[in-house]
Amino acid sequence: MKRNLKKYVFIYILLIPVILYFIVFSYTPLIMGIIQSFQASRLMGDVEWVGFDNYRIVLQDTSFIRSLWNGAIINLGTMAGSLFLALVTAVGLNEIKNKSVRSTVQTTSYLPYLFSWTVVGGMWVFLLSPNGFINGIINLFSGPRVLFMTRANLARGIMIFTGIWKNVGYHTVLFIAAIVSINPNLFEAAQIDGASREKQIRKIIFPELVPTLKVLIILSMMGLFTNFDQILVMGNPAIIDRIRTPMFYVYENGIERFNIGLATAASVIVLLLTMILTAIVSKLLSGKWRIR
Amino acid sequence: MKARKIKRNQMTPPVRTLNKLLLVVLFISMVLPLLNVLAISFSSPQASMSPGLMLLPREFSVSGFVYIWTRANLWRPFLNSLFVTTVGTVFQIFLSAIAGYVLIKKDLPFRRFILVFIMTTMMIPGELTLVSVYTLYRDLNLLNTYTGLITNGLVSGFSILLLKNYFESIPHSVSEAATLDKAGEFKIFRKIYLPLSIPGLVTVGFISFVSKWNTLMVPVSIITDQDKYTLPMVLQALVFNTSSTSGTEFIAPNAVMAAIVISVVPLIVVYVIAQKFLVSGMTIGAVKG
Repeated sequence: MKRNLKKYVFIYILLIPVILYFIVFSYTPLIMGIIQSFQASRLMGDVEWVGFDNYRIVLQDTSFIRSLWNGAIINLGTMAGSLFLALVTAVGLNEIKNKSVRSTVQTTSYLPYLFSWTVVGGMWVFLLSPNGFINGIINLFSGPRVLFMTRANLARGIMIFTGIWKNVGYHTVLFIAAIVSINPNLFEAAQIDGASREKQIRKIIFPELVPTLKVLIILSMMGLFTNFDQILVMGNPAIIDRIRTPMFYVYENGIERFNIGLATAASVIVLLLTMILTAIVSKLLSGKWRIR
Repeated sequence: MKARKIKRNQMTPPVRTLNKLLLVVLFISMVLPLLNVLAISFSSPQASMSPGLMLLPREFSVSGFVYIWTRANLWRPFLNSLFVTTVGTVFQIFLSAIAGYVLIKKDLPFRRFILVFIMTTMMIPGELTLVSVYTLYRDLNLLNTYTGLITNGLVSGFSILLLKNYFESIPHSVSEAATLDKAGEFKIFRKIYLPLSIPGLVTVGFISFVSKWNTLMVPVSIITDQDKYTLPMVLQALVFNTSSTSGTEFIAPNAVMAAIVISVVPLIVVYVIAQKFLVSGMTIGAVKG
């Protein structure tokens, strides 16, 4: 042990920047956040400890409670839609024999995943505008013009739809990677036994995709309440009450209004809620309790 | 015989048609919006305001690009983003390669502890520490600085683990042979591990470039100085200005769409360069991930 320590002094020195970075920029904010959530929000002067006051205020704030629902509905909708569509697309694409067709579809549907929400959101705000593309299509069938971005009852649906549009290609790529790694012998054996292609898809491909599916579901549970960029870009006063996510609530209170105690208390609540939900979901899906 | 066998292993005709139909619908709904944006960006300001379906430019012009780049000064946030992203990506690759290499030393004292320490950072959702990150940056005098933008997500546990897994996939015998030849630790790292890990390094670089280029939340929180705005911040302001009617200066749709097109060009370039390494980088890195 002691000789090892000496041998690795140089290596420990190499690690210092990384460890230091994580201490300062990962662990410190987390601990600071927890401490600040028990303090009164003040920009200067002495620190005032207020116990659970901030938590009480947040939990009594209807717009926070509603933001939890908004976040859950938007993210679960996006996740369910995107995973289902990606599953169908991946299996379907795998049946297409023409390789260039396959890679063209895959690449174009993957592109939006690379783009930021400012790009995707900005595009769709524009496509859904009164003079935009979607109203152009509606007009083609001589339907009435719809003011999509100001209709509160459509807002969550639009967030879910654009979320699916952005993510479906990425999920498809992940599913295709899982399909490609299936042992080809399985298909041969099934063929010899006279199983139809549909049956092979049902009995071989789908079961092989379940692990990937589970990981993706658990990952999106972790992000259940953290949707921010999309809301900042696509939200407007007419619809914000329907789409304000917890993360956006934290931003509005903490960064825009400097109500730091309130915002950090909300963050801590959301963090705990996320950990509990993720643990429950992974217990249900894989039989194991784990946070991640 | 063989031909018959291949033919049999297909879906039945009606399912096949349904499948193709579905894929065509998906493809169209992915491509049309992108084409529409491209078409508007290359139209004249007047034509870009006219309603309806547009898949090809009307009254072809590049005035949108010229306007947004020079009159609206998009070059400044573009260069800001490019600078911050490039520097950040270089740091990300460099730091995670070193940390990843250290972590493959099986007999390293406290290895387990360091590993847990790094993996825990992946479980702290960065989003939820936003407010305390803001106060931290304020206390460190990093508000409105390039250093602040660069330190945001400088190195991630994910890329360290990805490279660690990649390094582990390199046969141990290679480095043992080098050790027998009395090659130093640093030389083994530089001459053996790095060159053999190009796909892993490119993957980390690519993921990091994309996420740094697109990052919005921390920049809008810590930057108020217009000269240091990054591209996503300016795009967000542009979109917000066009969707609300209270505009300061009216910017025509063709210019806004031109800004969008300009901002995705670097991503596409990076994707094309990285593409051929991505698959192997992802799969090997993910084996144990």
